[in-house]
Amino acid sequence: MAATADETEEHTAVPESGPTPQNRGRGRIALAVSVFGELLITAGLVLGLFVVYSLWWTNVVADRAAHKEGDKVRDGWAAGQDTGPGALDTRDGIGFLHVPSMRNGEVLVEKGTSTKVLNDGVAGYYVDPVKATLPTSGKAGNFALAAHRDGHGAKFHNIDKVREGDPIVFETKDKWYVYKVYAILPETSKYNVKVLGSVPRESGKKKAGHYITLTTCTPVYTSRYRYVVWGELVRVDAVDGKRTPPKELS
Amino acid sequence: MYGWIWRQLPGNAWVKALISIVLVLAVVYVLFQYVFPWAEPLLPFNDVTVDNQ
Repeated sequence: MAATADETEEHTAVPESGPTPQNRGRGRIALAVSVFGELLITAGLVLGLFVVYSLWWTNVVADRAAHKEGDKVRDGWAAGQDTGPGALDTRDGIGFLHVPSMRNGEVLVEKGTSTKVLNDGVAGYYVDPVKATLPTSGKAGNFALAAHRDGHGAKFHNIDKVREGDPIVFETKDKWYVYKVYAILPETSKYNVKVLGSVPRESGKKKAGHYITLTTCTPVYTSRYRYVVWGELVRVDAVDGKRTPPKELS
Repeated sequence: MYGWIWRQLPGNAWVKALISIVLVLAVVYVLFQYVFPWAEPLLPFNDVTVDNQ
């Protein structure tokens, strides 16, 4: 008990001569200043923790979720569930995106680009404002995707490493869709929904075709602009028994 | 503020330190589990899609 009393004296900085009214006033100001300072330190620590959270912890959580979902999709394929045209189960992932120049392995692709979908460490295909054309449909159109640049798996973090001519491969249960990058837009407004068009004119294309569009935010760690990469379908390979990847991935 | 909390904790310095660590971990847990996920969409760091909004 005596120790506690000692500490109280020490912390409120009351001089040994005992409290006079003047000293008490000064002590109160000192207390207010120290509480204010401690609040500022606390705020700094919380902001630092937020950085740790958004750049590290969200990746841990998202990668865990993505692995789980990806395994589920692969198991489903291995079990030979009928996911042929028409029976496509869009609730789970529809396939995997491989972009060797991003050097991040495979990225599960799911339906939608809502925060909830993308925060699971996947790439989402657009359903709003423009509905993406799935390559599995066989129709001409634009397979438009979005994924996080930082945090939540950061699946498109290295989008700036993608160069024209690089391959983008989309893997489904029984097809490899091999695309080749032909245009890059390093910075555009976030309102520029025309980049998702079935014929993305900004990329220089005029005719209907089988396109793929990757969108994410730029510069890194912010969401000021959007970064867009366009590719065009080169060929479609059938998946063999051993799932041998096309030569672009080896 | 922290001095006041420290003085409210029971036991000797070791017990106090232990309780403090548990309290800090609890605060970090609440931040990571509830506060940050709530705050994140309100901040303009992670919008990756193009849209009409």
